[in-house]
Order: sequence, then C-alpha cells, then structure tokens
Amino acid sequence: MTMQFGIFSVGDVTTDPTTGRTPSERERIKAMVAIALKAEEVGLDVFATGEHHNPPFVPSSPTTMLGYIAARTKTLTLSTSTTLITTNDPVKIAEDYAMLQHLADGRVDLMMGRGNTGPVYPWFGQDIREGINLAIENYALLRRLWREDVVNWEGKFRTPLQGFTSTPRPMDDVPPFVWHGSIRSPEIAEQAAYYGDGFFHNNIFWPSDHTRRMVEFYRTRFAHYGHGRPEQAIVGLGGQVFMRKNSQDAVREFRPYFDNAPVYGHGPSLEEFTRETPLTVGSPQEVIERTLSFREVAGDYQRQLFLMDHAGLPLKTVLEQLDILGEEVVPVLREEFAKGRPADVPDAPTHASLVAADEAAKAAAAAGTDAGAGAGTTAGASTTDDKEKETAR
Amino acid sequence: MSKLVVVSAGLSVPSSTRLLADRLAQATAGRTGAGIQVIEVRDLAVEIAHNFTNGFAGRDLAAAQQAVAEADGLIVVTPVFSASYSGLFKAFFDVLDQGALDGKPVLIAATGGSARHSLVLDHALRPLFSYLKAVVVPTGVYAASEDWGAEGLPERVERAAGQLAALMAGPARLPAARTAQEDDPAVVRVGELETVPFEQALQALRRPS
Repeated sequence: MTMQFGIFSVGDVTTDPTTGRTPSERERIKAMVAIALKAEEVGLDVFATGEHHNPPFVPSSPTTMLGYIAARTKTLTLSTSTTLITTNDPVKIAEDYAMLQHLADGRVDLMMGRGNTGPVYPWFGQDIREGINLAIENYALLRRLWREDVVNWEGKFRTPLQGFTSTPRPMDDVPPFVWHGSIRSPEIAEQAAYYGDGFFHNNIFWPSDHTRRMVEFYRTRFAHYGHGRPEQAIVGLGGQVFMRKNSQDAVREFRPYFDNAPVYGHGPSLEEFTRETPLTVGSPQEVIERTLSFREVAGDYQRQLFLMDHAGLPLKTVLEQLDILGEEVVPVLREEFAKGRPADVPDAPTHASLVAADEAAKAAAAAGTDAGAGAGTTAGASTTDDKEKETAR
Repeated sequence: MSKLVVVSAGLSVPSSTRLLADRLAQATAGRTGAGIQVIEVRDLAVEIAHNFTNGFAGRDLAAAQQAVAEADGLIVVTPVFSASYSGLFKAFFDVLDQGALDGKPVLIAATGGSARHSLVLDHALRPLFSYLKAVVVPTGVYAASEDWGAEGLPERVERAAGQLAALMAGPARLPAARTAQEDDPAVVRVGELETVPFEQALQALRRPS
C-alpha cells in the first residue's frame, strides 16, 4: 500500500433540498455508521468523523461512534476530522483514544484541529483568542501522557498533574499516529513539522495555490527539524466529489444539493466552485484526473480523504457514490499514484509500521550503546529523531 | 516609483465618485510622481459577495487586495448611502487581510447629493480607517453635487493631496506591524507564510503569565 484512501464526515443533519426531508439525529448517526461500514466493504482504508458540539451536527462523541464501528469492521483505520485539541481535556483525549486503540487492535489515528465554532470555546471554559496556544500546550501534554508512564505537569491552561498515569497505556507502548489539520495557520503546520507528525490540509473550499503554500511550508519545516527530506513529510489532503457514469447526469443530479448546501450554497455557481476548488462533479474518469492533479500541488502524499455525505444527500445516494469510489476510482488512483513515486517517500503510518519503527529504533539504540557509536539505520529514522527530542526535553 | 492605489466605490458610469477619485489621484501623483492604480469596487462586487460565502478571494479581488497591501498610499472614495459609506465600499474593506492597512497613509473622500451628509467623512470613514490602523490624512474631501459648479473643491483637493503626498514621502510614515516582524530574525518564512519557530511558541507558554 502506498497511499491511503478514505472518507471524512462532518456529521451534519441537512435537509434534502430535492425532497424537503430532514433526517432525525438517530437516522444520521446510523447513516454515518452505514457509510463507514460501506467504506471498508468497497476497499477504502480510512473513515474519519468530525467532532462538533452544536446542532445541526451529531458527532459530539467520536470515540463512542468509532468504537462501535471498530467492532463491526476488520481493516478500516478509524480517525477523526478533527479532534478538538483546544477545548477537550488532553487527559481525556489520551485516555479515550488509547482505549479505542486497544479495542480496534491499533486501527486508530487522530487529526488534531482547533474547531471553527466560536462559542464552543466558552462552552468548554476556554478563550478562543488562545486557540493556537491551547493547541500547542494541550498537544504537548497529550504526547507526554502517551509516552511517559508517570507525568508531573504544570501549564497555563489546565490543572497541574502530579504523579498521573493515563490509562490504559497505548497499545504496544506506541501511541496512535497524529495528523494536524489546519486550513490557514502556519503555526499549526510548524507544530506538525516540529514533531514529525502528519499535516492534513483540508483543501476542499480553497484554491490550489493556497494548499501549495501551506504544504510547502510544512514540508520545508519538517526537513528543518531533521525528520527527513521535504518530500518525505506526511501529507494528507481532502477532496469532495459527486459522480455518475455520464458527467451531465452528475451535474444535473448534484446541482440542487450544491445550490442549497449550508456551506457553499447561494454563493458562486457550481461551475465557478469546481473551477476554483477541488470539488469535482462528473464522471469517475474526471474525478480520477482531478485527484491525480493534487500531486502537482502537494507532491507525493500519503492520505486522500473524500467528503461524500454532505449537502443533504440521502444515504442511498451516498452509498452508491461509495460503490463508484471504491470500485472505479480508488483502484485506478492507487495504481497511478504509485507510478513515479520515489521509493523513499514513506507510506502513511499505521500501527504496524510505527511498532516496527519503534523496535528498529530501540535495536539501533541498543547497538549504538554496545558499539559506543550511533548506528544509523534508515528504517524509522524519523521516529528515532522524534523519540530523542522527546527524551531530551 | 511609489504606488498610489485608488479605491473608488461609485456605481454609475460615469460616476462623480470616480471623478473625485481621479482629481485626488492626479493632484497626489503630481506631487509624488507615484504610479496610479484604480480599483473600481463595482467590478469586484460579485467576487466580494463570494468571498463572504466562500472564505477566499477570487482572482480579480485577490489582485486588488494585493495592490492595496503593496500601496504606499491609498485614496478611498465612496458615495453616501443611508447616512454612511455604501455597503459595497465597506464590504471591500471587510474582506481585506488583517493588517493590510497598518500604518498606511489613507486619504478619505465621499460624494453625495447635497452638503447635508458631509460629516460622513468624520462620523463613518475616519473611525473605520482608524480601526484598520491606517494613518488618515487630516483633510477629508466631500463633494456634493453643487460643489461641481462652485468654488472651493479644487482647494480642498489640493490641500488633501498635499497632505497625502507628505505622508507618503515623509518621515511620518509609520512602520506597520508586519514590517517590524520582517526585521525579526527569529521569524520563520517559507514563501509568503511565516510564523515563530515552534520552540519559541512553546517557551512563551512556560513563562508565568
């Protein structure tokens, strides 16, 4: 596997503009589960859920949902888009996701985000003006909780911890991989680069030039911090598509959803929006070509997530879309993205690859101690750097 | 050559707002030798509306925003609508990047049907540009319909242009917040994006607040 393909859901309850029907919260929650199961069935790698704390969104409790999906899937990686590192207690994130990681046999990673709903900060006792600082401090604590058995800690935003052990400990002592999602904050790209974590640019509403600048910033800084060359940084991108066999049918069917969508409805036309942003409405072949062009913007990357269940599309339609995505689009994308991909561009990290890198790092460290010199292995080099930095602090 | 950017929010063609804008621009350029670029906000109306719903600027609007950011001096002219600047005029400045006008000399001007609205300059425009941290020229220019056939307007235009020209050239030019950061060796810059190095951001949180 070179790249991971999957879907991410916002979890909005939206009226279907063609029928006027609004699903209940229960229906929407069950639909998200059905969509996740379908993702595995059609051969996708990742399902990620958003986290929201206000209507019309349902997923306030991601690990409950992902735990349920974990029990009903075998291969799917369960992720978030995003986990609110600003307003959630990092202690609870450490506990919840370590628990999920055990239940899902390691099929878990997370994407950190700050959230874009102003009132969520005060509702959770925080100040939005401290958004970046909360992301920095909370994540620094989260990393320690997952990597150190006993943590003494004092910071600006949270009650101090004395002799605290977060349980359960991460599976195999290897914490879930972390992506940092940000649309326009170089501070967050810098954070991801510093730790050698992944950087996800949710480009779905943005012109490609903007995505290029953000990804280039992250790649440059990733190399600066010694995790590898810029091309070896771990990059994820979003995308949103609607497909039918014939392009015109796709446009005709999707237009009322586009025109009335809460996010971009009543703004620019479908044509303008598809020209300026990654939204692609057309045949599977058009989606393939558009998605392949992302490589020209971001370089060889590791994870591609599509937003499929939005704008009030009924479940039945979304499941049909996933069939097309899994059967006709992703197999071609896997093949085409693999072409010309340098061998030293890493795959998207998984629990297995992180465990292997961890063991390689330990073995290298042991060999280094015995020989009294550093054993420079390439496998898991970035993890080695990461660990050293972590212990150095 | 310094750059003078004119933002004109007239709606009709030809418009008296543009007429006033041109006279102010010529008078300023005559003193500074600045190159003039005129932005007709009317031409950007749809892209501005889309910027509100989308969150990003279309191509023409992005070019206009860049011109404003790079300008050494700005002349802004709006017609008076409902006792204030026009909504479209305000909308253009609402979608500018934060800090785009920091320390920038700005000449404010307005047009109206009668002289009864002339204080719009000081009640509406001046506070707006103060908020945006621009250096507002002391003389604003208001032209009612009747002014185009009366004495006094050319003198006001000259006085305001002279003040703008002085601010554009003179030592009174304030450093913008951005310029200060550009001089900071600690700032990390890749392409157009910049931030403080992560260690520094982390350290800042460790200091007692």
